[in-house]
Amino acid sequence: MTAQPNVFTMDTTQIDIVPIEGELNVGPQHPGSGHMRIYVKLNGDIIEKAELDVGYVHRAVEKLAEVRNYMHLIPLVERPAILDSIHMNLGYILALEKIMGVDVPDRAQYLRSLAAEINRIASHLYGTGILAVFIGHSTGFMWGFGDREVWVEVLQALTGARVTNSYIIPGGVRRDLTPAIKEMIEKAIKHQRKRIPEWKRIFLNNPNIRARLENVGVMSKEQAIAWGAVGPNLRGSGVYYDVRKFEPYAAYDRLDFEIPVYKEGDAYARVHVRFDEIEESMKIIEQIIKEIPQGNILSDRFFKQIPPTRLKKHYETHGKIVFPGYYASFRPPKGEAISRVEAARGELVYYLNSDGSPKPYRLRMITPSYRAIYVFEQLAKGARYADLVAIYGSLDYFPPEADR
Amino acid sequence: MDQVKIREYDKNKNPFRLFGAHVAAIGEGIKHAIKPKTITLKYPDVSMTLPTNYRGMIRLYKDVCIGCSLCAMICPADAMKMTTWEGKKLPQINYGRCVFCGFCVDVCPVDALKETRVHDAAFQSRRELVFNPDKFNQDFDQTLPVKGTVRKVRAVIDENKGIRYVPDE
Amino acid sequence: MMDILQDIKYVILYPSFFVTIIFPGLVVGGLFILLAIWFERKIAARVQMRVGPYYVSRFGGIAQLLADAIRVAFQEIIIPAGVNPTLYVIAPIFPLLFAFLPLAFLPIGVIPEQGSVFSAYYRSFFDPCVGMGVIVALPTEYSLIAVLAVEAAYPIFVILQAWATNNRFALVGAVREAYLSVAYDVLILMSVIAIAVEYHTLDVAKVVQSGIPGIVANPLAAFVFFVGLIMATSRFPFEIVEAESELVTGPATEYSGLLFLLSMGGSYFGTYVYALYFAAVFLGGWYPLSGFPGAVILFLKAAIIVLFSVFLRSVYGRYRIDQALRNSWRLLLPVALASIVLGIVGGWLWIR
Repeated sequence: MTAQPNVFTMDTTQIDIVPIEGELNVGPQHPGSGHMRIYVKLNGDIIEKAELDVGYVHRAVEKLAEVRNYMHLIPLVERPAILDSIHMNLGYILALEKIMGVDVPDRAQYLRSLAAEINRIASHLYGTGILAVFIGHSTGFMWGFGDREVWVEVLQALTGARVTNSYIIPGGVRRDLTPAIKEMIEKAIKHQRKRIPEWKRIFLNNPNIRARLENVGVMSKEQAIAWGAVGPNLRGSGVYYDVRKFEPYAAYDRLDFEIPVYKEGDAYARVHVRFDEIEESMKIIEQIIKEIPQGNILSDRFFKQIPPTRLKKHYETHGKIVFPGYYASFRPPKGEAISRVEAARGELVYYLNSDGSPKPYRLRMITPSYRAIYVFEQLAKGARYADLVAIYGSLDYFPPEADR
Repeated sequence: MDQVKIREYDKNKNPFRLFGAHVAAIGEGIKHAIKPKTITLKYPDVSMTLPTNYRGMIRLYKDVCIGCSLCAMICPADAMKMTTWEGKKLPQINYGRCVFCGFCVDVCPVDALKETRVHDAAFQSRRELVFNPDKFNQDFDQTLPVKGTVRKVRAVIDENKGIRYVPDE
Repeated sequence: MMDILQDIKYVILYPSFFVTIIFPGLVVGGLFILLAIWFERKIAARVQMRVGPYYVSRFGGIAQLLADAIRVAFQEIIIPAGVNPTLYVIAPIFPLLFAFLPLAFLPIGVIPEQGSVFSAYYRSFFDPCVGMGVIVALPTEYSLIAVLAVEAAYPIFVILQAWATNNRFALVGAVREAYLSVAYDVLILMSVIAIAVEYHTLDVAKVVQSGIPGIVANPLAAFVFFVGLIMATSRFPFEIVEAESELVTGPATEYSGLLFLLSMGGSYFGTYVYALYFAAVFLGGWYPLSGFPGAVILFLKAAIIVLFSVFLRSVYGRYRIDQALRNSWRLLLPVALASIVLGIVGGWLWIR
């Protein structure tokens, strides 16, 4: 055990100066790291290399999918990005329906789009809140979550649970839209439209926030395509790509909406893309409420199997679908399918391979945050240390979604 | 591909406009400090009743159940298991595993399972989380251990404030 | 009996003791800082759609900070293995001390010859520049810059505190404090020089007694000093030293218990003392009242400044260190130079 050096008598030529270069471990126990470790190699104030150490929240969703039934997988597959659960659910069900060969009625398609857009707004508000708290703006954090509360209440009225929705089943959706829910949605849209100018004054046009976000983490168009960015990160760099326009699913080919694309490619442009997408989603929701067709919300193939007494008691009075016994364990035919949806953070890909048994042979999920890992590491090179959290928040990287 | 309009945000470098933006941000903060839009629910003095189709804790009707075990087959988390209870085959539930997805309620062919609106329940040991069919049969009604009466409110979406709480009978 | 009471009253109201210990010194200052932190949490909660401290006492949780302070004071003090224990334990005391010591030079009122409780000390605290007695702990003719000279030693002790903890995050915080201290010290000193040139004096009491508040005589200097105040004491948007989402708590990362309480108190005490200075020089101070009521007016003006500075938490995020330095050198230094020119012109034409 070495003796502690006495400050007053020690020889000053032996003091070692702390080197300017060093490693910082922005680890799991840190207010600015989320559920992962960022290993940062610093030279003064400039980051030379930032390595992401992912895997803290790995829950083995893909392995568990080999030992569970198809219906059992619906709540499991939602859980990696639970705040975006409708999209995770929708992608899986689209792949399953391709294998089973089920056609979905129109009203169910519109309802799927409605729930997806509400969830997109809630997820963008969450992402903006997290970015705000990393920059130090605690009001942006609380307002993001407070405004999100309104949309979560709407989802609770529509699906029965706030976040863990489990709303979409093979063949359609579980619950129907009632006039009370329509009124709630209209009031929520009016409230959100009133809040957006307030957000602009205190957060988006605040010169402090602009200085933190402008010219931070700049990705040019070629770099964004080469590094594999998806979603609002890609659209903030000037690339026009959205799965809803290029490979439409679930009633998007019958709706009229625009995709916001910004030219600059820095963190501020990405935040603007998210805010403009909130406005576009509200326009889509208004169209859906006006144009939704009447009809069944479950495909005829399964609807015929429900006994008429149960149908009358639940579906005609409350608008709630009850499951026929088929759902308890069904065997889809042999086959494989790929489906893509545009989740709130980017493009989500599912690959499903079934071999005729009640459990799938292989399920593969590629989540948008997983693709952001490489983008994060490339953008952090050469940035200042305080920009690390600004880049993290502007990419809207969600660690459990990347780890699955 | 239709013609796409690439947008740009406006970059103002004028120092007077910057000063004006600072003043606007501080003014917005002062406006909210004077007239706040609080959405806090002061639980547990005030407790919220949830809407009617909320997926809360589940209740079994023992006499109606026919023992088909569809609920145990469809449960995603293996929370429902069938046991033999007084000669009949009845489900028991383990609330430590239940994810409140509502599949079992939807699939029961005789409507023996029903959802209650209770979302906050507390137990004192892990063993109490497993409900045998008799306990499962009881009406789930927990009172909050609070002095005085608890006001019940309902959440209503309001255009100006976001969420407002109106009293519920 | 009356003699003993008279003696006690003489000792307590002696300005050197009264100003530094009682009002506006340790006792009243400490209680006011607890109130200021409560106000910060409550007003941020009102802007952010929530309630803030609520349960601790009857009126809006106003005793919450007292409960927090007592809880933190009784926590366990953990001394890590790789530090020098003596330095580790005594290091947090110095920033608090040097944030608070400038109060010794700041006058908080004038003493008329008769009619005030302080009139007994008229002779011993007589200030020839003003022509009246002055309530101040250490009377000097150069109080305008003596306060700032003592306050300028504060960053050195923050760096010492961070060095003593042997933690990388604290070190990054200390380096940021070192950079920032050069920027804000220049701004504060230049704006005060503008005031000194305009009023032809280096005595705070004379600046106040001239009857013209500094913000009317030289608004540019007031603005520069206010921004310097926010930079010096880590209020938002310049909360760079203790940036929570990048460096866990800055220089105070490793501290717990009573030492943590001392580390956190340093920056709030600094805000308080700077606010008293701002209220005296720029907002008219105690004029036209004198004696004890004048001191109360000065305290109320300083309270408004402190409460506004902590309100800024709910409006702003935090700047990056190089942006703060660049803005202060590129945007605020010309304004400070312009304020010196304005001070020269004003001193020649207006104030005699």
